[in-house]
Amino acid sequence: MDMFLAFLTVITQPQLLLLVGLGTFAGVYIGAIPGLSVTMAVSILISFTFSWEVYPALALMVGIYMGGVYGGSRTAILLNIPGAPSAIATAMDGYPMAQRGEAGTAIGVSTVMSFIGGFIGIGVLALAAPFVSDFALTFQPRDYMLLAILGILLVGSLSSGSLVKGIFAGALGIAIGAVGRDPLTFTERFTFDLQIMEGGISFIAVMIGMFGVSEALLQLHHVDKTAVKQKISRIVPSLGTVKKHLPLSMQTSTIGVIIGALPGTGGDIAALMAYDHAKRVTKNPSRPFGDGAIEGLVAPETANNAAVGGAFIPMMTLGIPGDAVTAIMIGALFIHGLNPGPMLMVDNPNMFWFIVGALVMANFFILLFGLTGIKIFTKIVEMPRSVLIPLILLLSIVGAFAVNNSVTDVYWMLGFGVFGYFMRHYGYPLGPVILGVILSRLLDDNWRRAIISEREDLGRFFSGIFSSPLSTVLLLAVIFIFVSQTPLWRIAKTRLFGRTGSN
Amino acid sequence: MKHFIVGAVSALVLGATTAAAADYPTKEIQGIIQWGAGGSTDTVMRSVTPHAEDVLGGTVVLQNMTGAVGAIALNHVAGAKADGYTLLMGAENPLLYKVMGLGDKDYSEFTPINLLARGTAVLVANVDAPFDDYAGMMKYIAENPGELRLGATGPGGLPSVITAMMESVEGDLDVISVPYDGDGPALTALQGGAIDVMPAVLGAAIESIRGGKMKPLAIMDVEASDKLPDVKPVTEFNDGYSSLLPWGPFFGVFVKNGTPDDVVAKLTEAYAAGAENEDFVSLMDGRGYTIMNMSGDEAQDFLTTWQQNTAWLLQDAGLTKASPEEFGIAKPGE
Repeated sequence: MDMFLAFLTVITQPQLLLLVGLGTFAGVYIGAIPGLSVTMAVSILISFTFSWEVYPALALMVGIYMGGVYGGSRTAILLNIPGAPSAIATAMDGYPMAQRGEAGTAIGVSTVMSFIGGFIGIGVLALAAPFVSDFALTFQPRDYMLLAILGILLVGSLSSGSLVKGIFAGALGIAIGAVGRDPLTFTERFTFDLQIMEGGISFIAVMIGMFGVSEALLQLHHVDKTAVKQKISRIVPSLGTVKKHLPLSMQTSTIGVIIGALPGTGGDIAALMAYDHAKRVTKNPSRPFGDGAIEGLVAPETANNAAVGGAFIPMMTLGIPGDAVTAIMIGALFIHGLNPGPMLMVDNPNMFWFIVGALVMANFFILLFGLTGIKIFTKIVEMPRSVLIPLILLLSIVGAFAVNNSVTDVYWMLGFGVFGYFMRHYGYPLGPVILGVILSRLLDDNWRRAIISEREDLGRFFSGIFSSPLSTVLLLAVIFIFVSQTPLWRIAKTRLFGRTGSN
Repeated sequence: MKHFIVGAVSALVLGATTAAAADYPTKEIQGIIQWGAGGSTDTVMRSVTPHAEDVLGGTVVLQNMTGAVGAIALNHVAGAKADGYTLLMGAENPLLYKVMGLGDKDYSEFTPINLLARGTAVLVANVDAPFDDYAGMMKYIAENPGELRLGATGPGGLPSVITAMMESVEGDLDVISVPYDGDGPALTALQGGAIDVMPAVLGAAIESIRGGKMKPLAIMDVEASDKLPDVKPVTEFNDGYSSLLPWGPFFGVFVKNGTPDDVVAKLTEAYAAGAENEDFVSLMDGRGYTIMNMSGDEAQDFLTTWQQNTAWLLQDAGLTKASPEEFGIAKPGE
């Protein structure tokens, strides 16, 4: 009963509900603007809410977090510029839809799917948190490494044209991610003895440049063309559409929760993996993937919002952050005199149920704010390009600077913007570059940790993999996905089943 | 005429500076935190600063500027004006930048405003580890050479210093040192069994110890901590540590050298009040940190001694890139 009351705190105290709503609303817009990140907003809020009680402070933070993860999809769909890393996959089918004048439908679908994904994440948090966090802890360095390899194999599904160009782009991304002082030994890598290279290249700067600036430059080619008129008669997707995609959204939400709960991986990787999963299992997409398939929106949007609930799992049960935002929230709990850690659930179970309640309400607010005000948003894409392009450039510069208050990041961002423009021009996909940057550290650090732990002995390394069911399954998944992308597999499949497979 | 203008201008400038110092702060102060949001430096600075602001009568805008183990933030503040409007909020490790080859600047370019608190290190082990205290661990290492996985956070980090201490007291240890990028990820890995033992600051491990998720082997101090009274100090296992301890990481607020004295005085007063604030003290105490609240010459002496002891300890363990001698860091006791 106590726990039910704690769950309802956020509803019984109107000012808390108001704060969750306010947070969600702000989060949607912070998330939508590239470079203004939830992480930044929440860390500013720590100082801002210092003198508050802990509940109102958390209510605001939870709202911003949930809203921000959803908000990233807005600019991804409308402008092909993901507002946050977790919306990179959303742009791949969302933007083509907007180009057809279906921005309203795309936003409607992504809102409802974010809502569904968010609920699955919260449900798992509420019902199975201790179980999931124990599972997440069993991931060893070698498992993270295998997960990263699995991620790198997504290059195939993120490259629309030539696979060779995709692989080149992915490798470039991994190299960009390795620049700077190596975090394990502090040795300088690819720094050319330049001080600006020492801190590495900000991943957000690369993302904003590659997507934002290069998109603006590309649009300059069509500066005189009139913008596509957006149909906004039908925003809320029909029950039939939702039902049709329910099985897929369940699967991708599961991916989201697990990847979100793993310390060290978050919504960005979850969304990309979910996108790949959708591409693999969907036999007859509404349109080909990359051309505006609804499935290509469903997968990343469910997964990244499910990852929010997932990230709270290790935070609430063990005091271990599931991602950057929950890391800051742990700091906030500490500052408010609570002791985040395994005893929090025991000493202060109401806190857990309060957060679950706040997440549920934030999720409802997403539905509310997501399905209203779309008209104004779609007006953005209908603006003349001569207004829109400078606006995109301005947002990109502000965003790149705001990440770390560093002008260097702005230079990087502009440099990668021009580079990205030429890459697009010559048919090199940009998705794999970002994928490479995201996975670079995960792969590199964990491979080294794994092999160092085994005294740099490959034999011991492999016997370690085969002695753990989790590692074995991950290794088999890597092998399966790799082989299934080779011509050999297609030949074998034709021989065995007597017909050509769908991939 | 020319002289008059120069005189007038300098008088104006001087007048302006004195005026600025007298009613400092007249604008927002930037507080640059060397480490990421949510980390221990971040939480300490965000908990003390609002109390200091009350005394200061101004706003300190806190910003995290991460990268290159804090060197980016340090260089940023060193490059700003010495007017007291840019504060550096950091931990102990810049004192090791020079010997570790991570940069050519350290706290000698800065004036300490307040050294707020100091942490105590503790050795923690995975709950399933086949030993329960420090002696058991040493026995296990001797019987199973090259099997124990010891967590690390890179050269110059707390684990590397504690490991150097252990090697200087116990002789070479045949263990595998597995590097992580911070004590948070390493302690997570410890709970998952990827590493067996981790030297960590008590504040980062205390809640997991209370929750039974990891077991303490020894407090790396000369006396037991009142937070964990049942855990023996390491000096009870081997007295050789008593010459090296107490040692611990610390958190401090700094301004660039050359900042006007009255600005330094005002900041010192403000942060001293912050460090004495009841809420802050109980917050730090609950996490196992010891309040230092040191400023002025006392703080300067502390920094010098800390740097000498630690740099030479690492030098003797063969972990440094350059000898402390090259930077004029005297050997302790000389």
